[in-house]
Amino acid sequence: MLSEDLLLFAADASRLMLESGGETYRAEYTAIGIIVSQGGTEAECFATSTGLMLSFSGEDGKVRSVVRRIKRHGMNLEKVYRIDNMVRHLLLGDIDIDEAARQLDEVERMKDRPVWIRMIASAFGAGWFSLLFRGKTLDALAAAVMGALLSILIYEFQRLKLPGFLSSLAGGAFAALASLVAAYVGLPINTDAVIIGVIMLLVPGVAITNAIRDTIAGDLIAGLARGVDAVITAAAISAGAGGAYALWRLVLGGQA
Amino acid sequence: MSPQLSALLSHLKEPLFAGLATSAFSVLFGLGSADVILASGGSALGWAVLQAMPAPGSSAFATFFAALTAGLYAEIAARVRRRPATLYMIASIIPLVPGGGMYYTMLASLEGNTFRSVELGLSTIMTAFAIAAGLAISNAFARMAFSSSIYSILKKGKIFHKPDRR
Repeated sequence: MLSEDLLLFAADASRLMLESGGETYRAEYTAIGIIVSQGGTEAECFATSTGLMLSFSGEDGKVRSVVRRIKRHGMNLEKVYRIDNMVRHLLLGDIDIDEAARQLDEVERMKDRPVWIRMIASAFGAGWFSLLFRGKTLDALAAAVMGALLSILIYEFQRLKLPGFLSSLAGGAFAALASLVAAYVGLPINTDAVIIGVIMLLVPGVAITNAIRDTIAGDLIAGLARGVDAVITAAAISAGAGGAYALWRLVLGGQA
Repeated sequence: MSPQLSALLSHLKEPLFAGLATSAFSVLFGLGSADVILASGGSALGWAVLQAMPAPGSSAFATFFAALTAGLYAEIAARVRRRPATLYMIASIIPLVPGGGMYYTMLASLEGNTFRSVELGLSTIMTAFAIAAGLAISNAFARMAFSSSIYSILKKGKIFHKPDRR
């Protein structure tokens, strides 16, 4: 493989790793590992959650570099595993670079779970979390129904390629409004337990923890970027929920 | 039902809920079925530790030990399944992570309740820090016990030596 192709391939693997929710250091080592396995030297990669830079020196001694922007952020741990495994095999010499490129292509084309599975999983997630936060059975059932609806809402927002801020805002508003309405029509639910169960589907708890993990690992810029992202997401969710509360009070004159 | 048995069952209830919630989230995070079950076990274990810990001062200590347990479990599961430990880590810490804390912090600050927001915000950061520290330490233990990751190969081997320029 030409040095230029190798560079682009390594950058793509690293980008896909970051887009699938891999840690920053893992994305950096993915690119470096691919280049080192093909005899490249002086490989260095600098990744954050919004982009990565990669450079190495080829066999002719010339330094090549590439920049990749990262705009998608998802969580697909199966992809993280596949890419990691591909790099391991490449380093151990089990597979050649063409086979690695084929495997990466396969990972790139892997589809997310179908919508109905996401709906069911979201329903269960919201329901069990509502029980974990001291909700009763009825609260859990309400949270499950709202969780399933919320997953459709998030899916539609993602499909329309709207920014994550908007989908968090709408998600927070939906969770608050749905449980206020449910309580208003006479369901004997504890709105707090329902809302927190539903909102667990949106909140950036894993993101803030990963931000601190990156910071501890020495990736300070990446940690800051992830931390800011988490804070903005949390702000959007609570702005949505808080706005919905305020609107509800305004319309119903303080009975909420 | 004897009182001891019902006491035991009431202690097992929350870890069970935590594990089941994690299984749902693992599906959303794209894990396969065997991994979903493994990750749920880790999170139930972590929550059981969280529940069993006495709370001196803040909940951060209990969270730290819960994350440490979940992290060690994840490292062992990773060796058994020959997959990166992060798969099991990310999933196992889902019930522990301060997502609700972040939400309540921002809500309090939007409602103009600054003191409450600062209080909640600090405890949220402490919780996230405790989890991150627990995972980092369990990872360090795992590296001492088994040093087979590609990252150790990379570090010992090829990248950090001087290239010969022709």
